[in-house]
Amino acid sequence: MSSLALRSLRFRPGAFAASFASMFLGAVILMAFASMLDTSGGPGVSSTDEETLITMATVVGGWGLVIVAFAVGSMLTLSVRQRSAELALLKSVGATPAQVRRMIVGETALLAVVAAAAAIPLAVPTGRLVFELLQSSGQVGEGVGYRFGGFAITIGVGITLLASTIAALVTARRATRMRAADAIRDAAIEDPRMSRKRVVAAGLFLAAGINCGVVTATVFHGKGSDAMQTAGQASIWSSIGLALFAPALVRVVSRVLAGPVERIGGASGYLTVQNVRGRTKEMAGAVMPIILFTGIATGTIYMQSIENAAMDGLVKTNEQSNIETLNFVVVGMVALFAAIMLVNTLVAATTYRRREFGQQRLAGSTPPQVLRMVTLESLVLAATGVLFGSIASIATVVPYSIARTDSVLPDATIAISLGIVTAAAALTLAASLGATRRAIRTPAIRAAVS
Amino acid sequence: MSEPHSPDALRLVSLRKVYGTAQNQVIALDGVTLSLPPGSFTAIMGPSGSGKSTLLQCAAGLDEPSGGQVFVDGAELTFGSETELTKFRRRRIGFVFQQFNLLPALTVLQNVVLPLRLAGARVDRRRCRSLLEQVGLGDRLHHRPAELSGGQQQRVAIARALVAEPALVFADEPTGALDTRSARAVLALLQEAVRVDEQTVVMVTHDPVAASYADEVVFLADGRLAGRLARPTAEAVAERMTHLGDDVTRQAVGA
Repeated sequence: MSSLALRSLRFRPGAFAASFASMFLGAVILMAFASMLDTSGGPGVSSTDEETLITMATVVGGWGLVIVAFAVGSMLTLSVRQRSAELALLKSVGATPAQVRRMIVGETALLAVVAAAAAIPLAVPTGRLVFELLQSSGQVGEGVGYRFGGFAITIGVGITLLASTIAALVTARRATRMRAADAIRDAAIEDPRMSRKRVVAAGLFLAAGINCGVVTATVFHGKGSDAMQTAGQASIWSSIGLALFAPALVRVVSRVLAGPVERIGGASGYLTVQNVRGRTKEMAGAVMPIILFTGIATGTIYMQSIENAAMDGLVKTNEQSNIETLNFVVVGMVALFAAIMLVNTLVAATTYRRREFGQQRLAGSTPPQVLRMVTLESLVLAATGVLFGSIASIATVVPYSIARTDSVLPDATIAISLGIVTAAAALTLAASLGATRRAIRTPAIRAAVS
Repeated sequence: MSEPHSPDALRLVSLRKVYGTAQNQVIALDGVTLSLPPGSFTAIMGPSGSGKSTLLQCAAGLDEPSGGQVFVDGAELTFGSETELTKFRRRRIGFVFQQFNLLPALTVLQNVVLPLRLAGARVDRRRCRSLLEQVGLGDRLHHRPAELSGGQQQRVAIARALVAEPALVFADEPTGALDTRSARAVLALLQEAVRVDEQTVVMVTHDPVAASYADEVVFLADGRLAGRLARPTAEAVAERMTHLGDDVTRQAVGA
């Protein structure tokens, strides 16, 4: 089975490009920060320097594991679903579920090692950049020299491999539990209800987010920037919670927007509404990264801007500067991965619909009508995502504002929020329209047969 | 060129289709000229590679011919943008495919209504319902295609092809993916559309039994017309097909 894994990697590179991209980027970030551990072992490092460097490496490393696993998992789920015919074929010629699982995990692990190795040349200058940032802001002493070595490579390769393997195991188990016939039916008729496990998980994450928010506003009230410990997590947990509730959210929003969309879009709008209703799960897959991106970015950036306003005129301690750097790094990382996930999910899902677009054109849809339908769909997705992402960010913003400034709403510009919302909407539209345009370049009759 | 008063439902004039590069050309259609009157049910038959699917796709505006002209209900089909072609097809041509090509997210009724909605035409739901009752699916209006058998899906596709009252319905191997019993039901429906509603149907098939439902069979070999057979029986069609094969082999050996 491992030779089969190798062959499918060699001959179908396109199917793995998205997974590879997220592993590669993850490895670059992980190694760049893990190299702070190498640096902390060098000469001329004071105990404060050491603490700063180690904090940077471990915090980013921990979040990196979670984010890479999540991103790779979402890419793999899509690529495995698109290969369901191939996997069914393997089973029909005698592959056991365990062999199919081994193939998927083998492919992924191999890909992770290659991606991590390829990341080293880019990780060295990125690590140096992070280090110079720390040094120029005075968080690390002048005499310290940058080092990239054993820690960076072991941690970078190790975490990328671990995260990818975990993601592959989960995906493969889900893929092989389904029988081939069920897999086909599943794609055609979906059960709109969310599984009980999903509802429970979503509820727990939401509760954790709200709890962090409440603790921030009460326990940490007036305790200065210590409140960040809980406030920062609040929007992350509540974003994950709302993202898990995405199918239900998509249904609610589509019910509200159905009337206006049909009125504006005519026949295309009508199809948009039917598609969003008939395929809430697929739509939810695209809404999840929008919620995560909007929620976490909005929450963290506003938290930092509240902090900066509260510290106005005061000199920041070394720890406070470290936290600021970390906040922006974590936001940057989350935003980057959410953006990759979003683009990948949309491009994969749209390409997967090439046959459907072909059928629609044969039924009398002009290419502009197909594009209008996809545009409206993307707008519904983006609206759902930014709305609930912004709601999730409240769990961080309001409690932190109360804790630091005693006012419910922060005295910060709305432009940050508008910028994040615009970026999310633009990315959604660009990714799905680009993929649709490519998909309808094939003549309708050929697209419908494939 | 002036058209006669009651135009042919379909008229092909020296239709040519060439695939491939200049060095490696495959001639799929080699100057086919053919007229089919309104209210006729024609089967197009020929061995694989004879060009019958290409003929259908060029005549329906789904593929661009290399030369020649296509007239549907007297109007010339010009191969401009896809949008222009789609608008031409909407009003004049219905299509039934081997693989049904129903939209998976839409219900049976929504699938049938769709061509009217896309064309911005008035949607007569009563007529759509009665069409679906006609094809025996009056009790399946709100099912999704995946919940239906192949035969049922094809009957939905027929209702969809008929809904805009097109001048011409093309059927490309409509029974190719069906069992014998469903195939018979589908063919009877196409026949009924011709007999009762005076529809014009052009069907490509490789099955002599399917072809025997038509009023006339047009044979195609190597991209050229190779004879016609009126009031066909399955036996007579099979007999002709065997000889078509002989001709092709003889030519190949002689060449």
